[in-house]
Amino acid sequence: MFNSELMKRLSDCFGPSGREKMIREMIKNEIKDYADEITTDPLGNLIARKKGTGKKILFSAHMDQIGLIITHVDEKGFLRFANVGGLNAKELLGLRMVFDNGLEGVICQEELKDKEKLTTGKLFLDVASTDKEFIKKNFRTGDMCVFKSEYYETKDCVICKAADDRIGCYVLIEALQNHPETDNDVYYVFSVQEEVGCRGAKTAGYSIDPELAIALDVTATGDSPDGIKMDVKLGGGAAIKLKDNSLITHSDVKDLLTHLAEKNNIKYQYEILEFGGTDAGQIHISREGVPSGVISIPSRNLHSSGEIFNKADVEECIKLVIAAAE
Amino acid sequence: MLKEFLFDVCSNHFVSGFEHINGDILTKYFKPYTDTLEKDKLGSYIFKRTGTRDTKIMLAAHVDEIGLMITKILEGGFLSFTTVGGINPASLVAQDVTIYGKENIFGVIGIKPPHITSEEERTKPHKIKDLFIDTGYTKEKLESLVKIGDIATVNREPLSLQGNVISAKAFDDRACVAVLLETAKELSKISHKSNVYFTATAQEETGMRGATTSSYKIAPDIGIVLDVGFGKTPDMPPDAPELGKGPIVAYGGRMNAKLTKKFVETCKKYNYPLQHEAVPARTGTDTEALHISRDGIPCILLSIPLRYMHTSVETIDLYDVEITGKAIARFINELDNSDLEEVLCF
Amino acid sequence: MFLKELTELSGVSGCEYEVRNFIKDKLSQMGCDFYVDKLGNIIAHNKGRKNKTIMVAAHMDEVGLIVSNIDSEGFIKFKAVGGIDQRVLNSKAVLVGENKIPGVIGSKAVHLMTSQEKESSLPIDKLYIDIGTNSKEETEKLVNIGDYVSFNSSYVEFGDNLIKAKALDDRTGCSIILELMNQKLDADFYGVFTVMEEVGLRGAETAAYQLEPDLGIVLEGTVCADMPEVEDRDKSTLIGKGAALSLMDATTVYDIDIVRSVAKIAEGNNIMYQYRTSASGGNDAGAVHKTKSGAKAVAISTPCRYIHSSVNVASKKDIESVYMLAKQVILENQKGEQ
Repeated sequence: MFNSELMKRLSDCFGPSGREKMIREMIKNEIKDYADEITTDPLGNLIARKKGTGKKILFSAHMDQIGLIITHVDEKGFLRFANVGGLNAKELLGLRMVFDNGLEGVICQEELKDKEKLTTGKLFLDVASTDKEFIKKNFRTGDMCVFKSEYYETKDCVICKAADDRIGCYVLIEALQNHPETDNDVYYVFSVQEEVGCRGAKTAGYSIDPELAIALDVTATGDSPDGIKMDVKLGGGAAIKLKDNSLITHSDVKDLLTHLAEKNNIKYQYEILEFGGTDAGQIHISREGVPSGVISIPSRNLHSSGEIFNKADVEECIKLVIAAAE
Repeated sequence: MLKEFLFDVCSNHFVSGFEHINGDILTKYFKPYTDTLEKDKLGSYIFKRTGTRDTKIMLAAHVDEIGLMITKILEGGFLSFTTVGGINPASLVAQDVTIYGKENIFGVIGIKPPHITSEEERTKPHKIKDLFIDTGYTKEKLESLVKIGDIATVNREPLSLQGNVISAKAFDDRACVAVLLETAKELSKISHKSNVYFTATAQEETGMRGATTSSYKIAPDIGIVLDVGFGKTPDMPPDAPELGKGPIVAYGGRMNAKLTKKFVETCKKYNYPLQHEAVPARTGTDTEALHISRDGIPCILLSIPLRYMHTSVETIDLYDVEITGKAIARFINELDNSDLEEVLCF
Repeated sequence: MFLKELTELSGVSGCEYEVRNFIKDKLSQMGCDFYVDKLGNIIAHNKGRKNKTIMVAAHMDEVGLIVSNIDSEGFIKFKAVGGIDQRVLNSKAVLVGENKIPGVIGSKAVHLMTSQEKESSLPIDKLYIDIGTNSKEETEKLVNIGDYVSFNSSYVEFGDNLIKAKALDDRTGCSIILELMNQKLDADFYGVFTVMEEVGLRGAETAAYQLEPDLGIVLEGTVCADMPEVEDRDKSTLIGKGAALSLMDATTVYDIDIVRSVAKIAEGNNIMYQYRTSASGGNDAGAVHKTKSGAKAVAISTPCRYIHSSVNVASKKDIESVYMLAKQVILENQKGEQ
């Protein structure tokens, strides 16, 4: 059964890259009774371990979401910003943003002169205040904000912000709570700063030094008119990644995941993403190398305030993670 | 022997991420001249010649080549694909390919005939998403033979052109793996003190990944990286390096200046030809990974001049391969007999 | 300390010998413990009270040029080392190679330019250095491919406590670390003079790998665009307004709690500071914070106008602020119970 309440809380929780404190606390609370050991490393990765003497396995889902960092506050309440993670000006115009203290703003655009292109430098966040004191007190250079949008679900799908990669975190939380009987030494890593270059994964991969690593992240689909050509579709099951720009999945890992899916009657599809990367990209080149793969949750409209995924696909992903942990 | 090796290796595929499939070809040629073979977790091949002292010298040349990966099986027996590594789509137009599925399948990448192509269209180069592989099968039959994720390469029989010049797909960077072979052969004729690791790295074309993991594993004292460089053609500046004039030595921050100087001196002393180029920042080679591995590895970078890089007709002069192999063997000999601390200190 | 001498030495990324030798010399004179690692970084250790491993880093290298070819007439073609806007190269004096052979990068006389030429700027591969020879052979006797070229620009103090020199990015940082080492503080830290920051934070990678710091304090020279016609929001930092604290750049998202605590330390010690507002650019912290199992990192920078050109401008007061703040941060982190 899909736990909508958990997913909504995960999606709504504030946590842009580098400022994951709140989401880390939230996830820690969810898993604290299920892990043998919970640690936080210098970059802020949350690492939950189920101890064992067998194979060392690392699962990684990133806690951070894309957002904006405020670079300038003027006294009229017009804030300038730069993006944190992949976002461009066209995608931002008109959006509502929210800060960690709950205050909100709207992204507006400066007048564009003849033939001028829309860039982030031409946008500003209007925080809807004419009170200079209020503005000065509540907004500072260095503050970050994220999309403000409502969680929504239909019978089979969900629209929400930060499905990338809170849905991955959801999968790991559910999997950890249903951790199988096994000798394996399993690390459930809720990583930081993936959106700005998989930085958390790099250090977590180094310090844990696993024998097998599997990342949980979203991937695009080819089933909508948006022009992306892929064989992946919503409802097609857990996606076993074959390749993206950061990783060519190790053949043994691909075979393992395929075998597990077939053996356990888990619905799956193969995925090749022609852009983008995941935590596995950093982990697989750690030290002498780590055979790695990715279980992806197919999603549409990525890096927007309304990312869409299929609940059944998520269930299959959870099953596959549990099978792999064994 | 070098020509035989190169023709053999280039007639088979070693697409990035799939270097394990044809590894026995490498073993066949390297085994007579090396003592052991180990692999790192990404699939790089590390052939070692054991020495008499602790010093470790790592020679790196990447064995992987660019290729295609099937992304979708379409009606009519066509295949959509993506690239593995950087490929100019223009070099794929009107080519024969082989798809490595359940069995090897022949395919063709063709484009619309000129009769229905406007003048304007003809000025625009193709994009990968506009190209398809035609297998001649029905979709159903094709689905039984090929899966998404299978890889394909352009067909090209290696060719002997005039003199020592040869042309094939993927001399980048097997021409340099051949250099490693030549060095191994030369070293087998003399006694050497240092342990030499002939490393055919994996997944360089996708980001120097094999170099990252293999250099971490070996933790050498010195690195010698071999890759291909841009050989002169009519459309390049007059001062570009040429085929047949020896390896290109790189000068820049990634490369250790004193070590590079020592190599240049060795070549002068023994009359090996050399060309020179300045590479101040990113080298686009395994050096990026090697020189900052762990607490750092002093490196030199040598390039074999090659024309038409990343096409299926890469062209080199075998003379460059042979002479570089010999020069490196001689250099290792010089290093064996030098005070390494003196060479590497600042 | 020694800022004038440091800026006048040549140390283009990949060829930091002069700067390294100078600093080694001074460290020896001060009686400091240090060694040089495999890439050429200097790693000096100031022993003292220790709660955590602190790495204070500044890069020795500067942007410059490298000889790529000598043409048939004896003119020297070059490539840029580090990010240089080619327009700053017009009509400049340079020094070529180890022997500092003087040369000039000229420009076609405006009298001879077509109107089209006047409208566009020449790309680097159309520029060349003239050392006054008449033939290829003559030039080849003095210059080789791979020789490094630095700007010929002297240190000048001017205006209201301002300095003009080349390479204030990051000889200011180096000078500050020398001063810190000289203080012989009772607080443990490693003073690291890195190589090749300008071409990809290379030296910092291996230095951090060896030290495994808990905290990295990077002292940089950073962008300061407080000029006319630049919008306030694009200036990044302001001259004379104190040590610049980074919030985020292309290589690091700085831990906001640590940044604000550094700001508090500044306030508590009456040290002038400001925030670096641009989110672009990068520095050694990018390498340090991701090393091995990770580390915390901050960047405290001296605002430099006209960065990456031969006429950097910085304020002595800002340099002093960076020094004092770095010192207090080290002391604060190493104080108290062990």
